[in-house]
Amino acid sequence: MSDVYVVGIGMTKFGKHPDRTVVDLGSEAVREAIRDADIDPRRVEAAYCGHVFQGMVAGQRVLAQTGLAGIPLTNVEDACSSGAVAVREAALAIRAGEHDVVLAWGMEHLTGRFRGALTPAEDDLEAAVGLTMPAIYAMRARRHMEEFGTTRRQLALVSVKNKRNASLNPLSQFQTPVSVEEVLASRPIAEPLCLYDCSPVSDGAAAAILCSARRLRQLTRAHRPIRLVAAALRSGEVETGLPSMAFEPLTRRTAEAAYEQAGIGPEEVDLAEVHDCFSIAEVLRVEGLGLFPVGEYPVRLERGEADIGGTLPVNPSGGLLGKGHPLGATGVAQVVELVRQLRGEAGARQVAGARVGLAHCRGGKAAGIEGAACTVNILAA
Amino acid sequence: MAEGSVTAQAAMVPLSPGVFETDPQGEPHLVGARCRQCGTFFFPRREVCARCLSADVEVVPLSAAGTLYTYTVVHQSTPEFPTPYILAYVDLPEGVRLLAPLAGVAADQVRVGMRLRLRVEPLRTDATGRTILGYRLYPDGGGA
Repeated sequence: MSDVYVVGIGMTKFGKHPDRTVVDLGSEAVREAIRDADIDPRRVEAAYCGHVFQGMVAGQRVLAQTGLAGIPLTNVEDACSSGAVAVREAALAIRAGEHDVVLAWGMEHLTGRFRGALTPAEDDLEAAVGLTMPAIYAMRARRHMEEFGTTRRQLALVSVKNKRNASLNPLSQFQTPVSVEEVLASRPIAEPLCLYDCSPVSDGAAAAILCSARRLRQLTRAHRPIRLVAAALRSGEVETGLPSMAFEPLTRRTAEAAYEQAGIGPEEVDLAEVHDCFSIAEVLRVEGLGLFPVGEYPVRLERGEADIGGTLPVNPSGGLLGKGHPLGATGVAQVVELVRQLRGEAGARQVAGARVGLAHCRGGKAAGIEGAACTVNILAA
Repeated sequence: MAEGSVTAQAAMVPLSPGVFETDPQGEPHLVGARCRQCGTFFFPRREVCARCLSADVEVVPLSAAGTLYTYTVVHQSTPEFPTPYILAYVDLPEGVRLLAPLAGVAADQVRVGMRLRLRVEPLRTDATGRTILGYRLYPDGGGA
């Protein structure tokens, strides 16, 4: 299996951009990634674009704005994992020997399309009885509380940590830390979750240029390349019997595949960007990934182990809760953050000595299936 | 709710295709699938058993009583679902977990592990004025 490197990254500010279009946002991120890689745009051989609600051929509209029109382009939809899947597809194209320099980006203009709670597909059986995404995570939070004694206050600490980290990231949607009391006093969305337990509605884009080992030698770059050592994807299995909703077999299976590809174990991960669409989600992710023992994360979090400067920093970028969650962009933005961290360019939120970073995304829900799409991408300096 | 007439029920649109089967008396019942090879139950129905991959799968009625596994009170939703409302997962004896609205109980009285009963009944009217036939959970007080 040939090595794949990330040689360029770009990202817009995440937030509410009522005066900008998705094409505008996508183009900004793509142009920045090309500049960052310091390559001639004609070197980019193929592209993958992750988005969820941006309509037909959204990716081609961005290529037309960036001088890249004409190359093979695949638009990718896997709900909130769309961007991460685009990165994986780009890596597969390089590993297969088909291409040497490939662009992967994700983008979403969500404020123009949505208000309030996202739901599964309209014709899904559970959506038809009123299921929203906050509701499913609220019910999982209640199970984690039942099974492990997790407290409402401990869940709030996830939001407090991630919004604090976000305040150190100039591209984050939220620039102001919040207190536990403010999280608990925010309005209820789906009990026990409140507004500040939920990732916001966001617009934004993020891009990465991936490159083969053989082409790497020919590029002149300002930055050291970061190696993509694993890109794993799994889909959710049909649930049988009555499994615990306080644990994620899908995240565990995807992580095991990624660790095997990378030839490392969870103990070698220095920092993680995980899919904290809700406060409880971060708990379920890191326990599913094997980064913390099942049921123990809330207590470890309370001790500061997941802080920047802790034993295993989780979501130093601010995560979805703090940085924002423009669905298709999220998986690529995680890779952008890991590259910054592994290059040592993360500024005030730099994780000291970071050498291995893990990015986890999970997207979608359908009746009778644990989750829809799960990705784990691992990068190494 | 009082059971509607056979014709009224027939005019309703099921929440999702394949969720109900009508018995000889004209009453709709919630159905799932059971694998004839390994005995695993599924809801919603599957054409192929997800456990043993057998295609020898039969449609069977599901129990109408079970135990509350988890729940939430929803305060923000889409326009067709007025808030607040309670959603709960109920564990049925077949080893099937099913999501439904929970009614007939105050939010602060809901408990994990409480006994629930499932009733097939109209849920709402859709944008075109059709009545949607679905199911709701109620505390199991022993009565009908």
